[in-house]
Amino acid sequence: MSALSRFLARLRNFAIGRRGDRRLREEMEEHVALQTEENLRAGMLPAEARRRALLKLGAVETVREQYHAEEGLPLAENLLHDTRYALRQLRKSPGFTIVAILSLGLGIGANTAIFSLLDAILLRNLPVVSPRQLVLFGRGRWVGAVDGMPDRSWDLFSYPFFREFSARNHVYSGVAAIDSIEFGTHASLDGGPKWLSHIDLVSGNFFDVLGVHAALGRTLASDDDRAPGAGPVAVASYGWWVRRGLTPSVLGSTVRIESTNYTIVGIAQRGFFGTTVGQAPDFWIPLSMEKDISPGWNGLADKDFQSLYLIARRRRGVTVAQAAAATNALFSQIIRSEYLGDNPSPKDLAALSHAKIELTPAARGLSQLRLQMSLPLKILMAVVALVLLIACVNIANLLLARGVARSHEIAVRMALGAGRPRIVAQLLTESALLAAAGAVVGIALSWKAAALLLHLASGQARPVPVDATPHLDVLLFTIILSACTTLLFGMVPALRATGGVGAPSLKEARGAISSPTRNRLGRTLVVSQIALSLVLLAGAGLFLHSLLRLTDVDTGFDKQNVLVFGLDEYAAGYEQDSRLAGLQRRIEDRVQALPGVRAASFSMFTFNEGAWSDPVIVRDVPRTPGNGHDVLYNVVGDRYFAAFGLPILAGRGFNRHDDGHAPQVAVINETMAKRFFPGISPIGHRFGIGNDPSHSGDIEIVGVVKDAKYVALSEQPQMAAYFPWTQHLQYFSNFSVRYSGEPGAVITEVRGAIAQVDPRVMVSNASTLAAQVRASIGSEQLIAELSAFFAVAATLLVCMGVYGLMSFAVARRTREMGVRIALGATRSSVQWMILKEILTLAGVGLLIGVPVSLAGTNLVLKLQDPRLMSRVLYGVGPFDPASVSAALCLMILVATLSGFLPARRASRVDPMQALRAE
Amino acid sequence: MKQKKDVRQGTLALMVLKTLGVLGPLHGYGIARRIEQISGDLLFVNQGTLYPVLLRLEQEGAIASEWGPSENNRRARFYRLTRAGNKLLDSEKRDWERTAAIIARFFEVKAEDLP
Repeated sequence: MSALSRFLARLRNFAIGRRGDRRLREEMEEHVALQTEENLRAGMLPAEARRRALLKLGAVETVREQYHAEEGLPLAENLLHDTRYALRQLRKSPGFTIVAILSLGLGIGANTAIFSLLDAILLRNLPVVSPRQLVLFGRGRWVGAVDGMPDRSWDLFSYPFFREFSARNHVYSGVAAIDSIEFGTHASLDGGPKWLSHIDLVSGNFFDVLGVHAALGRTLASDDDRAPGAGPVAVASYGWWVRRGLTPSVLGSTVRIESTNYTIVGIAQRGFFGTTVGQAPDFWIPLSMEKDISPGWNGLADKDFQSLYLIARRRRGVTVAQAAAATNALFSQIIRSEYLGDNPSPKDLAALSHAKIELTPAARGLSQLRLQMSLPLKILMAVVALVLLIACVNIANLLLARGVARSHEIAVRMALGAGRPRIVAQLLTESALLAAAGAVVGIALSWKAAALLLHLASGQARPVPVDATPHLDVLLFTIILSACTTLLFGMVPALRATGGVGAPSLKEARGAISSPTRNRLGRTLVVSQIALSLVLLAGAGLFLHSLLRLTDVDTGFDKQNVLVFGLDEYAAGYEQDSRLAGLQRRIEDRVQALPGVRAASFSMFTFNEGAWSDPVIVRDVPRTPGNGHDVLYNVVGDRYFAAFGLPILAGRGFNRHDDGHAPQVAVINETMAKRFFPGISPIGHRFGIGNDPSHSGDIEIVGVVKDAKYVALSEQPQMAAYFPWTQHLQYFSNFSVRYSGEPGAVITEVRGAIAQVDPRVMVSNASTLAAQVRASIGSEQLIAELSAFFAVAATLLVCMGVYGLMSFAVARRTREMGVRIALGATRSSVQWMILKEILTLAGVGLLIGVPVSLAGTNLVLKLQDPRLMSRVLYGVGPFDPASVSAALCLMILVATLSGFLPARRASRVDPMQALRAE
Repeated sequence: MKQKKDVRQGTLALMVLKTLGVLGPLHGYGIARRIEQISGDLLFVNQGTLYPVLLRLEQEGAIASEWGPSENNRRARFYRLTRAGNKLLDSEKRDWERTAAIIARFFEVKAEDLP
């Protein structure tokens, strides 16, 4: 209690700047006067009486200091003084200050931005109740629908299984289902204009299981999911509601999606974006409406149609291990009783024995983005951490040089009795100020940078909906980071300046000749800077080299002069029958007739859009390890090969006669031809999809087309087969057009032509095939470009470091140079002497840097799955002589250049002036 | 020759409290004088060190001070015990007595007394 009141009193005195000096002086004067009178009464002479009185009072100044220390908050007061002093010092050398703050700002900002992304994508929990209780069935690696019985860990589940499991489980308080596909489709609100909206199909208890409330209205209820078609309702996301202008009147309004009307019954809780990081649906709609959203599906009744993720909340007290055991036991029971029937075949039983459900924690939600971005982000995190380290070393070096320049001042102050801790604290205050300013610049830089980076990395036109603005933990990270930085670059110079072996003495502080020990620390710092930047440069070289290889990859198709349009035929209300085929035929023909169009065709896939794949069974050809892989399928229009510039190598392409009444045909690619029909012509042979021999005669091969890249640029040659769309009726979203002339005009014409055919067919976007190819290597490009950028920044820092160290050394050795020149040293020899010193430093740095960067890549290789590494590096090994030698040359060049000016200055020293200067 | 010793701060504070408790309001010189008399001129090399202690006690709320006329009719700062100071004095006194008693017992015990 008394300690508190004492602190408060001190704080008050400190805050109002009160000093009790006058009171103390008066009290002490009175004290002396009273004592003097006492002494006089004892018979002393007046002078002696006063002298004794003063003696008895003791050292007045010490008392005053104690009194003052007792009165206020001496620590805070010192801090204030130090801050003022440091500000003055920093203002006196604006060049140093700006360079230091900017390089720190860059370092801290880059670290904060990358960490924000790491946090948003890899670390942050879902904004739901007790996220740690949530588990995901499987690992969420698959998106789409699978059928049959997988004999491995299951990721996707059918709706009947979900129902059965929910009803019979005891370890979960709730199990929710989410369709693995986020639907992108056109919607209109109350009959207004259509826009491309994103929809998640979820079970009725989805919000209850997650513990997500409604910001307005209600969330979905189990009743909405009672029976097929039972719940034409939608819960909108808060984000969508904000974009719509936040009126509560949106409740009860109708949103029309495809051909069904949904009533908006609620707005979900603020900040809730669903369960997948990197997606942000506008609406959640009950799974009971699956058939209305995706008409081709029969998922509600078909137990073989597996397309759902299951997320469950563990009951209190149930461990993950218990939950896993119970889940798998129930899983086996259900599969045996509901799927295998009474007399299961040995093959099914074997598959069942391998099938299982792996539980994974779902606290952070699902994310394809996480799988795709986690390695690039970790690499970038390491890169920016290195950059920050280099910036710190650089500032330490500059501070060290300043420290030496101020050594006389410090020596004088220490001689006058300033304590070492006091001076260290003062120098550290200066560093802390720099770090704080750097942090402010850094946070400002990182605010928008994170979202921008993500956008660049994803390579998509639509910004990735991830909340990457720095959260509290990110700010905490930044603060800790800048504190560490301060210690890192501030401590050593401060300690150096005030004590230890290298401490300046008063006599030496103005020293004429630099002792070699004096600069050892500075040299070490420069050497480590050079080594670190070499690592960065070599790494950046590696990524750039790999990117070059990737962009050089032969795609097989001709990506120039092709536009890809996104169409939504379903929204126009066409059923999946001959009417749809008629529409597609009319669109193709109408666009084909446009003057700038060379070829136009629908297709299921273009490039980097996922795949439909299965093994094939070929009549009279046995399965071998070479041809047992999956074949990628595509369904295309007659002029697809022309539009993509893929030459037919044998046989024919598709034509009008390959319709529903004609025998089924396919065109295969070179690789498939080579693997199944080595040395013979595949034309006329027959095959079937899947493993069933009775289907091996289904489809006739009529042509062979050139190989291409299908899913990714880095993929190995794949077997592929194309089917004519007239024999595989479906909605297509891709419509590709090979054009000549100006693309802008073609886009307008094509849109116009489609509108003439049927104005209800929505054309959502048009991009070039070349852009699609570029986007597929977005994250590789981001790594390469960012690491190159940071390597260049680090190299610039090294330039400044070398330049600073050498100009400082030259300035200190002016007298020595003068003497040398006076004694007959030629200017070029002096110049060479300085340059030699720099080159020695660079040499040592490089000697360290090369093995370090090799060891670094080696370490990364060991830590990471090599398959993962190959997703980042393409066509180059981790030991890439080209990038290492390029980095070496660049580094030597940079060191020489930045040392050249100081060396020249040294050689220009006028001996007379130099000798007089002291 | 008598050797003077400087008192420890905590002890000095206790003496100040006790002095004010016995004598009522006093100025700094009066307090110093009183402590000197009681301790037989043994303590206090620097009487000035009293003032930081007084300030500390005041900031802790144990004493309060105000200006008043001194014996020679000049201005002096008079210190008096507050209610909190009284309580503090009581508890400090008990603590001190307990400590002193324990220490005293330690000095009285002889080797043969131990079982």
